[in-house]
Amino acid sequence: MIDLKLSDPHFKWEIMKKEGGEGLLKCFGCSDCAASCPVRYFDERYNPRKIIRLTLLGMKEMVLSSPFLWFCAHCHACTERCPQGIKVAELINAIKNYAVEKGYCPEGYKMQLELLMKMGRLYEVEDFDLKKRQRLGLPPIDKTIPDVAKIIESTHILKVLKK
Amino acid sequence: MKIGVYVCHCGGNISEVVDIKKLTASAEQQSEVAVVRDNAHMCSDVGRNLVLEDIKKHKLDRIVVAACSPQFHGKTFMDIVEKAGLSPYVFEMANIREQCSWPHFNEPDLATKKAKDLVSVALAKARLDESLSRKTMPIGKRVLVVGAGIAGIQAALDLGDAGFEVYLVEKEATIGGKMAQLSRTFPTEDCAACILSPKMADVPANPNITLFTNSEIEKVSGFLGNFEVIINKKPTYVNDQCVACGVCEEKCPVKIPNEFEQGLTNRRAIYVPFEFAVPYRYLIDESNCIYLKKGKCGNCKKVCPHDAVDFDQKAEKVELKVDTIIVATGYDIFDAKEKKVYGFGTNKNVITSLAMERMIVHEAEGRATREIGKRVAFIQCVGSRDEQIGNEYCSRICCMYATKLSQLLKRADPKKDVYVFYTDLRAFGKGFEEYYKRAQKTGVKFIRGRVAEVNEDSKTGRVTIKAEDTLARQIIESEFDLVVLSVGMTPGAGTRQAAEVLRMTKSPGGFLQEAHPKFKPVDTLNDGVFICGCAQGPKDIPDTVAQASAAASRAIRLMNKGVYAVEPITAVVDEDLCSGCGTCVSVCPYEAVKTEIKDDKRVAKVNEMLCQGCGSCSAACPSGASQQHWFMNKQLKAMVGAALGEEEK
Repeated sequence: MIDLKLSDPHFKWEIMKKEGGEGLLKCFGCSDCAASCPVRYFDERYNPRKIIRLTLLGMKEMVLSSPFLWFCAHCHACTERCPQGIKVAELINAIKNYAVEKGYCPEGYKMQLELLMKMGRLYEVEDFDLKKRQRLGLPPIDKTIPDVAKIIESTHILKVLKK
Repeated sequence: MKIGVYVCHCGGNISEVVDIKKLTASAEQQSEVAVVRDNAHMCSDVGRNLVLEDIKKHKLDRIVVAACSPQFHGKTFMDIVEKAGLSPYVFEMANIREQCSWPHFNEPDLATKKAKDLVSVALAKARLDESLSRKTMPIGKRVLVVGAGIAGIQAALDLGDAGFEVYLVEKEATIGGKMAQLSRTFPTEDCAACILSPKMADVPANPNITLFTNSEIEKVSGFLGNFEVIINKKPTYVNDQCVACGVCEEKCPVKIPNEFEQGLTNRRAIYVPFEFAVPYRYLIDESNCIYLKKGKCGNCKKVCPHDAVDFDQKAEKVELKVDTIIVATGYDIFDAKEKKVYGFGTNKNVITSLAMERMIVHEAEGRATREIGKRVAFIQCVGSRDEQIGNEYCSRICCMYATKLSQLLKRADPKKDVYVFYTDLRAFGKGFEEYYKRAQKTGVKFIRGRVAEVNEDSKTGRVTIKAEDTLARQIIESEFDLVVLSVGMTPGAGTRQAAEVLRMTKSPGGFLQEAHPKFKPVDTLNDGVFICGCAQGPKDIPDTVAQASAAASRAIRLMNKGVYAVEPITAVVDEDLCSGCGTCVSVCPYEAVKTEIKDDKRVAKVNEMLCQGCGSCSAACPSGASQQHWFMNKQLKAMVGAALGEEEK
């Protein structure tokens, strides 16, 4: 149930200030995005129209704490079709970025970040993999890519997460 | 000099924000101000009389009214000033509503300060106002109506009936426009052809209307009361002797898709546009006629018993002089091929709503042109409310015509499954909501959700629609026999051409711009040029007809007295300062300035009849030689000075 007393009138403006959030107010709720969405097709708990609607209503807590916000696969089918020209996938991204800033980053993402910092990969390369590559005549690859950690540091994501 | 200042409360619109007492006290301190008054409604009879009596009693010679926008009540007060025996141009209006109390409603102190400044600015200008007077010019009773759809027909008939001389120009070979193609009209379901054809027949029967079909306006010059028009009358290759016996058509070997029937049937290269065309006469389509392209065939000429086929016919130029012009150039339907995701043009089971109109006519006449199928879906907002294809506007008619077409289908065959997929359903007009309910009762299913995909099964040819029912919050994926795209309106080639030839302003959607959306809805910024129907914006038939009659009546208002008043707010050139550089000539949008040799010197000369007082030339003039009456440089300087709080000199 939606409790309008919990509505935060600033929420939508905060999202609109973020890169990708500019088009938010244009939504007229036609659901072309949801009908185009391959994720929505398989799991109806994810619905870009619903996320946008709740954002417009100012239901900040409801949107940011929802695990479904993170289901977007960034295929951009919605962006291609939105009749209002909203960059829907970018908008969802803007809300995600805002969620992380406010401390709503899911644990899974934090763990992925740790792996990237450590190895520069999400998948650990072991001796077994290197042997297999050798058998197939492929050149060896580095077990870690330290540059990835540098890139991550320069994005300030670590500082944002610490806040 | 004695100035009267009148402050309006606007029934609270102003006085609830601006402190009227402080404002009047400030005005009283200003030099030359003799009287300051305030009233709840300055525009009311009481308020107007206040001004009128003061002018006489106190011998006022300048009037400043601090109230709403001059767009709104400027003329009201100018008329009062003129009635009191003064020039209407010794009047100034300080807009303390739209430019003050409304936007600054939450800052009353600053709003009061701004209102004082606005009054000071108006006073600074008023002190330097000259007693300009309106000139009167003779005007005739000739009107050019461009476009002969239902809008142009209605305007022409109204004017013709009122005794005005009408020239009705239509680019197609027949009058009637898009309405002639429709099946029924919502919400009353009158047969479109049955209510339109008598009006079409009235056009040639009206002795005051001269009709030019297959003709386009090529050039329009001049001004209100003195427009010079060149019409290009294209050849039809069939002369007046044609009695439409149809022998020629039978012998014509060419078969091409019939545009009027949306390609559902074929026509010949020599043809009559449709069964109730006016004029009802054959014409040859030159781009498809074998004789005109290759010099061979000529069957039609050989068999014509009236010697009506004339391959030597050439385009003719007709020159006309008219006093006013009505533009009724209408719309084109949105080209559904642009919306690729719906597959129009590649998928034969995806059609436009206009084709469905024709199919319903054919079905009703017992000459069905194609299978409609059992399951039919309408997709709304195709080409409307869609920034992806650049049309932000709502086309206004699609909700109701889909409501009409869907229930006509359902009523003709209750076994059909008919669905309408809509974004928002707008049943805004008289009887529309009731009509929408009737469609629901008939059994049409309305689903709120924009269709995302239309996919074709390559084997069966059946089409699958994918959308979300936003009310049930469920994805719908369903197969249909026929998908109808409810295409919106676009300004169309005729309207674009008219805008160019007549140098008219367009609105953001590309339709023609009215002079004021509420108070001058059929006037344009070009004096003597009026607009009506879908050239001005998407609208349905009742609104179109109402607007056409409005345009006719606005044109009559200008012409009926035989003379009209000309605003004296025109550009004026100081010939001593003018170097004849011609900058003003190049910036003038109305071709009102020309250079000429005077006393061995090239100088700019303004045609006061053409000049609309836009100020472009005055702004562009490098030497300051070109100025504008009522906005002279010294006035503008004084206004800026007052705005900056400079001492009066």
